[in-house]
Amino acid sequence: MTNFFLQALAEVGTPSVLGLITIGVLFGIIGGSIPGFTVTMAILVVFPFTFAMDPVSGVSLMVGVFVGGYSGGIVSGVMLGIPGTPSSITTVYDGYPMAQKGEPGRALGIGVASSFLGTLISVAVLVFFGPLIANFSMNFRPWEITALIVFALTLVAGLSSGALLKGLMAAALGLLITTVGYDRNSNLRFDFDLPAMGSGFEILPVMIGIFAFSQLLGNIEKLKDEKSEAKKIDTNVTIPYGQILKDMAGQKLNTLRSSLIGSLVGALPGTGGTVANFLSYDQAKKFSRRPEEFGTGIPSGIVASEASNSAVAGGAFVPTLALGIPGDLPMAIMMGVLILHGITPGPMMFEQNPVLVGAIYASLLIGAVVMVLCNLLLVRWFAKISLIPQQILVPVVLMLCAIGAYALNNNLFDIWVLFIFGIIGYLLWKAEVPLTPLILGVVLGDNLERQLFRALELNESWMTFLTRPLSALFLALAVASILFSLYQDRKIQRLKNAASRENI
Amino acid sequence: MLTLTKDRALALALLLIVAVMWRESGSIAPPTSWQPYGSALFPRILLVVIGVFSLLILVRSLLVKVPERAGAKQLIHEWFQSRRTILALFLLFGLYAALLPVVGYIAATIGFLVASLALLMGINTRRKWMINLTLSCTLAIVIFVVFRYGLNVWLP
Repeated sequence: MTNFFLQALAEVGTPSVLGLITIGVLFGIIGGSIPGFTVTMAILVVFPFTFAMDPVSGVSLMVGVFVGGYSGGIVSGVMLGIPGTPSSITTVYDGYPMAQKGEPGRALGIGVASSFLGTLISVAVLVFFGPLIANFSMNFRPWEITALIVFALTLVAGLSSGALLKGLMAAALGLLITTVGYDRNSNLRFDFDLPAMGSGFEILPVMIGIFAFSQLLGNIEKLKDEKSEAKKIDTNVTIPYGQILKDMAGQKLNTLRSSLIGSLVGALPGTGGTVANFLSYDQAKKFSRRPEEFGTGIPSGIVASEASNSAVAGGAFVPTLALGIPGDLPMAIMMGVLILHGITPGPMMFEQNPVLVGAIYASLLIGAVVMVLCNLLLVRWFAKISLIPQQILVPVVLMLCAIGAYALNNNLFDIWVLFIFGIIGYLLWKAEVPLTPLILGVVLGDNLERQLFRALELNESWMTFLTRPLSALFLALAVASILFSLYQDRKIQRLKNAASRENI
Repeated sequence: MLTLTKDRALALALLLIVAVMWRESGSIAPPTSWQPYGSALFPRILLVVIGVFSLLILVRSLLVKVPERAGAKQLIHEWFQSRRTILALFLLFGLYAALLPVVGYIAATIGFLVASLALLMGINTRRKWMINLTLSCTLAIVIFVVFRYGLNVWLP
């Protein structure tokens, strides 16, 4: 363990990789600072630049974006009162009031320090639990892996905000997309007499198309509705270091609890920064002696929010690296990066690519340090950048998406794939279909089919899925997650009906 | 007459896709003697799942009472009218994809950026024109240099 970590540290510690981590962190913070841009979009935009890099450099750059992105939401949250990313919504509750009281530097400083500590604690969770889970899952055979993927998909679909049917349908649709082109037996499926479709769709143009178009064009639609006025903000911020040290000294338990919540939530498929954010804010409030002060601009609120959403970064790597199952969208893209560099995430990764695993740990640690330095030194600039209007951002990002899709294989067909899936993604988003299960379906489709048929080739009986204990457990959990979502849907519906009756 | 809602449109579109793909799956090669299951099985399982969920969405949408509105044709027309900017952006992106191999990366990218920035920002002042042209030309060239010389990736 120490050996491969030191080897990884030596690889990550080169000036070029350190430079890439810094660029990644800077871009991540900028991405996170711009309202509506999100961490996922920042990762998508940077992704094509990793094509020509070796795995360690590519992964380090992406990890940098990850770490920076989760902390970037602080800037716009504190300065503008608008969460830069959905995972920093609760940062606004206390960060903005504190800034309005004339202490924006204190709010930003507390946020950055909490993000840093959250990332460190989540790396410790990753280092400790990643190998344990990977070791345990080495015993998984095709039946268990199939059942686990089914469970992950149902869990993600079930968590799709009261749209269980659409979530499950989206997951199946994502899986169906992976069946285009030649299969494992070299049989052609669904080419619609178009030779270019014979090789199937690359995951990335599909993912970028589905996510980026819906997100960016959605932002344009919102602009029309909101017609926001140009905000004038004072970007002349100074960080009161002594005060922040004092504030953080009184937040040890809150930081630890929030970071652990973030790491745990990050490790669960289908959740992510937003859930962690609300959960830890709520917990901090419940554990507080003065819960009534939350939302008025107190350090506890900012710490709970920022420590948890930054801790998601390390936690989310646990299932991705150990099981090959990404927990959320940024991780699905991260998995795409690894696959592109010829590395298959999963239990074997810890055995076959220990240096790369170590490089991820090291990049997270270095990224956290770089994030603190960048945030503290360049906060005035980030505040200015967060004002870039969507009207400029959208065409530029669309262009970068197109170039990214093309650069993948130097193939123009991939830009058309991006375009078609962009239209599909936008229409599905308009029809209120959750896109996360769809994208996870696309990422996991090949593996699911491979494992399912490997299981059936080893034993033709479908009952084996139910007679093997672990596989049966995962399938039972899949059914339970659906039933729980149904129960929740009904509960929400009942509450809505009751509310409408009261209105009558 | 039934009103066309989001859910109904979604369910109908998906059922149509399922029908077309099910028919297409008939031309997938059948299993050989050493394969217990053929290549069509997995997609067919998924098509059945999508079909069933689409039907459920359709049935559920029919059970919900929706106030009578204009006909489907009128609703589709309104939908397109209210999303003219978005549709124009899609069109510009399609044109960009088509022009890339014809005129090359630099010209196509500058054209796409100028047109889409003009669409979203407007071009009613000299300042907007200046921002538009400067941003489009600079970005297109910077990206080209980074990919071509920094990353060794050839752009069309």
